[in-house]
Amino acid sequence: MAAPENKRPTYYEELRQRGYSRRDFMKFCTMMAAYLGLEATGTAQIANTLLKTPRIPVIWLHFQECTCCSESFIRSSHPIVADILLDKLSLDYTETLMAASGHAAEAAKEKTMKDYYGEYVLCVEGSVPVDNDGVYCCIGGKSAIQVLEEAAAGAKAIIAWGSCACNGCVQAAYPNPTGATPIHKLVKGKPIIKVPGCPPIGEVMAGVLVHIITFGRLPELDKVGRPKAFYSKRVHDSCYRRPYYDAGLFVESFDDENAKKGYCLYKVGCKGPMTYNSCGIIKWNDGVSYPIQSGHGCIGCSEANFWDNGPLYRQMASFPGFGIESNADKVGMVAAGVTAAGIAVHAIATNVRKKKLVDDLVAEGKESEKELKS
Amino acid sequence: MKKKGHYLRRVFVWQLPVRVYHWLNALVIVALCATGYLIGSPPAIMSNVEASHRYLFGIIRFIHFVAAYIFFFNFIFRIYWGFVGNKYADWKNFIPTNKKYFQQMWEVLKLDIFMMKGKENPSIGHNALAGFTYFLTFIAFLIQCITGFGLYASMTDWWFADMFVWVSNVFGGDFALRNWHHAAMWFFILFAMVHVYLVFYHDYVEGRGEISSMGGGWKFIEEEVFEEEKA
Amino acid sequence: MSQRIVIDPITRIEGHLRVEAEIKDGKVAQAYSSGTMVRLLEEILKGRDPRDAWAFVGRVCGVCTSVHSLASVRSVEDALDIVIPPNAELVRNIMFCTQYMHDHVVHFYHLHALDWVDIVSALSADPKKTSEIAQSISNYPKSSPGYFSDLIARLKKFVDSGQLGIFANGYWGHPAYKLPPEINLIGVAHYLEALEWQKEVVKIHTIFGGKNPHPNYLVGGMACSIGLDESSVINAERLAYVSDLLHQAKTFIEQVYIPDLLAIAPYYLDWASIGGGLGNYLSYGDLPTNGYRDPLSYKFPAGAILNKDISKVYEVDLRNDAEVQEFVTHSWYDYAEGNEKGLHPWKGESKINYTGPKPPYEYLDVEQKYSYLKTPRWKGHAMEVGPLSRMLVGYAKGIPEYKDIVDKTLAKLGAPITALFSTLGRTAARGLESVLVAQWALEFYDQLIANIRNGDSRMANTEKFNPDRWEKQAQGVGHSEAPRGALAHWIVIEDKKIKNYQLVVPTTWNASPRDFEGKMSAYESSLMDNTPVANPDQPVEILRTIHSFDPCLACSVH
Ligand code: HEM
Ligand code: HEM
Ligand code: NFV
Ligand code: SF4
Ligand code: SF4
Ligand code: F3S
Ligand SMILES: [Mg+2]
Repeated sequence: MAAPENKRPTYYEELRQRGYSRRDFMKFCTMMAAYLGLEATGTAQIANTLLKTPRIPVIWLHFQECTCCSESFIRSSHPIVADILLDKLSLDYTETLMAASGHAAEAAKEKTMKDYYGEYVLCVEGSVPVDNDGVYCCIGGKSAIQVLEEAAAGAKAIIAWGSCACNGCVQAAYPNPTGATPIHKLVKGKPIIKVPGCPPIGEVMAGVLVHIITFGRLPELDKVGRPKAFYSKRVHDSCYRRPYYDAGLFVESFDDENAKKGYCLYKVGCKGPMTYNSCGIIKWNDGVSYPIQSGHGCIGCSEANFWDNGPLYRQMASFPGFGIESNADKVGMVAAGVTAAGIAVHAIATNVRKKKLVDDLVAEGKESEKELKS
Repeated sequence: MKKKGHYLRRVFVWQLPVRVYHWLNALVIVALCATGYLIGSPPAIMSNVEASHRYLFGIIRFIHFVAAYIFFFNFIFRIYWGFVGNKYADWKNFIPTNKKYFQQMWEVLKLDIFMMKGKENPSIGHNALAGFTYFLTFIAFLIQCITGFGLYASMTDWWFADMFVWVSNVFGGDFALRNWHHAAMWFFILFAMVHVYLVFYHDYVEGRGEISSMGGGWKFIEEEVFEEEKA
Repeated sequence: MSQRIVIDPITRIEGHLRVEAEIKDGKVAQAYSSGTMVRLLEEILKGRDPRDAWAFVGRVCGVCTSVHSLASVRSVEDALDIVIPPNAELVRNIMFCTQYMHDHVVHFYHLHALDWVDIVSALSADPKKTSEIAQSISNYPKSSPGYFSDLIARLKKFVDSGQLGIFANGYWGHPAYKLPPEINLIGVAHYLEALEWQKEVVKIHTIFGGKNPHPNYLVGGMACSIGLDESSVINAERLAYVSDLLHQAKTFIEQVYIPDLLAIAPYYLDWASIGGGLGNYLSYGDLPTNGYRDPLSYKFPAGAILNKDISKVYEVDLRNDAEVQEFVTHSWYDYAEGNEKGLHPWKGESKINYTGPKPPYEYLDVEQKYSYLKTPRWKGHAMEVGPLSRMLVGYAKGIPEYKDIVDKTLAKLGAPITALFSTLGRTAARGLESVLVAQWALEFYDQLIANIRNGDSRMANTEKFNPDRWEKQAQGVGHSEAPRGALAHWIVIEDKKIKNYQLVVPTTWNASPRDFEGKMSAYESSLMDNTPVANPDQPVEILRTIHSFDPCLACSVH
């Protein structure tokens, strides 16, 4: 496996190639430092950074999560993760893969936070429990809240990986016993890119990072903060079973004749019509398949609160708090029944209580009728 | 009151635009409820026809969306008419603005709903309670249009529906949005039941041609009430 | 003189594990293992639709993804008395084997290897010599001198950049690293190869379950219908794809993983007498060949071994409330009837009660409660679960496949059977069972094909999918052998809803705090079994023993 020639030259190397000397370079750094209002030490810092920053430093924190986002990330096929790790960015801290543990790990993180203040990208996997002073997730003796605050301070941008970091995911489902909270509710004043999904597609995760590395800026986000490139369409809009939906041909129960024909899974609970994700387009694991293609409805895993959006196997609306078997239609039908009964009672009561009124009207009418007859 | 030879005045209450609005509204609401229900819980069809030869569900949804547009603009028109129409169409009928409005509401509640005894004091256009109920239905119209177009926004490129993309975020995603949109359907069904019943009720106990008023536009009002109202 | 050290975070695992240890005379004298993150999924599941539980518990872990979903659907099927079609069982088995192969290989290379392989030393390897060694141990084609010199160049460039990324601050150069540079280089090469390989094998999950991590499961079978003459379901093309991937996976395990394991082990044979610990081993069994209800048909047999005595295998009954119990004496929970009693999971409780220090803190108060893990016990015994337990139970039962592979490997390394009761034994057992699993996966595949050929294409039994057909009350248990060990979910269903749901997870067995009698669980006990620490600032030896269990803390706490 030959190393692909894609190592970006450092800024310093680039300047040298253009014929600048090291003295020119240092002068440039001093100027930059003055421009940025930094003290003398700032010059060295900038020089140091430019000398040695071909790869963007990344700190990847883990809080309340299941590591499926990291797992999904290493499944990326284009680019493959070995290349990302060795050639594209510098993953300076991630509990899942890093060699160092304990103090040595913390030290690596702190070094990056200091040396690359304002320059590193902070990736967060998992939600932060805020109840009870944050004791439900501690790392190195610090609460997740403290760890996040420290790391966010010097971050250039934050990527919230997966539904956990974007909306709390499963641990935030009712009754959210630990106060699991998404990142955007805790960190203010930093650009936050939300990459929801449980987990997000590996290629989407790699795509977001590669976008930042290759184009030197953050991808354009939609109104909720998700990259437009991957979250602007509903699963339903790109689903290859869509013609069956339009034709009204549905799987009625799993593995029935219609399931074998590949009909639409809407009636067995597919949430594709309400779910924004690239599953139907990029698909999963290098384009092999996606939930619907493998016969199960979309469970809406990239949508906020998808765990509390009613049972998985029912399409119709259902509201938490009424118990699993009551959906809006059941409630509605009961209300309609009660209303009908109320109407009947009212109608009877009318004939009793307003008898005189009605009798008068009838009498008046009959009178006129009689007058006409005679 | 009901003396022999008692005299009824014909009063023109519902102008033609109100009547057209009303029946168009009733029609599209029935259509929206029916198609909406089907969208929420489609019937089982076992068929061997290839999908490309059918478009049943697409048609159901198409009807829903067409009806939705009519519903929306009809509703906008009604709001407009609330400012330029006759006094029975005026928006002030719907929004409680003074004490008298509340008093009247209480009266109607006492007499017509709880069936307590008291002096009948029929109104010519809407009674206060009905007016207020319609105000609530207008709010429901609004919610249904906002949630509906919020859902629709992602299915179309037209700038008009696109104006509603924010809705989904406010409701916390399409799923919740759809739940609300679906649940609100039941308001319409319940309203229609009660409303139709009450129209018959009033016709029955008051004998002023309430039902036909939405057809021809006029009601028959007792001379005394007419004089009172004039003063 | 003793020194107290804290390792937190323990990295290259799943989740948040903290170890506090006393080091005395160059050895671990006391050890405490603590899980420091909790989500309380057992509470979140209450009141929900039992058919949905697989998706919730699936999210317990994205590393051993799918095993909780499997245990969950089995628990519901057990409660509702649903028998799934043979094809569904086979597909589940194939997905299970896929999970094993992926998990074990990733553990070996990406989570465990850096405890044994010094990547800095790899830079000084001689590519030609490396190539010779590589070719002497395996037929794996990527082994030319050019391949290795390219790799060195790539590594040099990486190291020269000054940004070591995930390799920064490793304990490189520590005297505990014993491999020659050439073997270190092979290790690094295969670290990268395995990173590429692992994304392939999981495609089997994608084909049957739509995605990985977190493929879809279904109560009553699987959702992926079979239709040989249909375009959108499991047909000949999809099946051929699976076959291809299974063969690729088997090749990698046989040509890369096992040869590497056998090349590295001889340099670390001292670790065959370190980190043994409890000596009690437990397996629930899995991989049915005649339906889940026939435990005798399992490829992984069930059983328990006590005190390293492999002449006797005890039976295990998950329904007996005197067998599996969980204690919370040292766990941040409270039981309604006091914290000394053990509860069988059907009656289990998960009421949280954090009593530890307020963060930021330096040390935990280990005399009190000190972990979010409960402490499971089997008939009162602390048990180790995982690959080693499975291999030992299979071996003790005298099953030929097990005897064969274990005896051959021990002979190759010149080690006695007792060498298995150790850190090295655990790591080796994981490799050996990967070989078995890779073979079995192909057997299951062949059976699936045979079934379909014989005209059986059923994939789900939906007779009882509709809750209207359920009893008012039901309870069930679903078990599995997850990659990290014995896993079971206990469910109580009432009025179509989950009334209680309890998971007792492999890492809960191994990493739990002490019990009411002060008895240690597997991690603590194995750390205190001879684990050396040459330099308390660089406790790589502790990592070796801990990593040999392949910790998953998100699993253990859930
Ligand atoms: C009286 C008024 C309306 C009623 C009763 C009504 C009812 C419904 C119902 C019951 C559904 C099915 C929801 C589900 O999945 O459970 C639905 C869907 C929908 N409605 Fe309405 N609706 C009304 C007005 C509107 C309006 C004004 C719009 C605006 C465009 C609209 C747009 C939609 C859309 C886009 C859907 C989703 C269709 C799909 O995803 O295929 N609706 N409606
Ligand atoms: C047999 C069918 C119906 C009859 C005879 C009828 C009759 C009437 C009458 C007489 C009024 C005036 C009420 C008053 O003065 O208090 C009215 C108003 C109204 N009706 Fe109906 N109605 C019918 C069905 C419906 C249906 C199905 C709907 C929609 C769900 C509906 C919606 C409304 C609304 C919104 C108003 C207020 C109109 C306004 O002033 O803007 N009606 N209807
Ligand atoms: N412990 C554990 Fe798991 C496994 N294997 C699950 O049951 O890793 Ni996340
Ligand atoms: S978003 Fe889902 S997949 Fe990612 S860590 Fe959370 S639970 Fe796991
Ligand atoms: S399967 Fe789901 S996403 Fe696909 S068309 Fe049907 S409802 Fe839409
Ligand atoms: S469940 Fe998730 S993976 Fe895609 S198809 Fe639905 S968003
Ligand atoms: Mg548990």
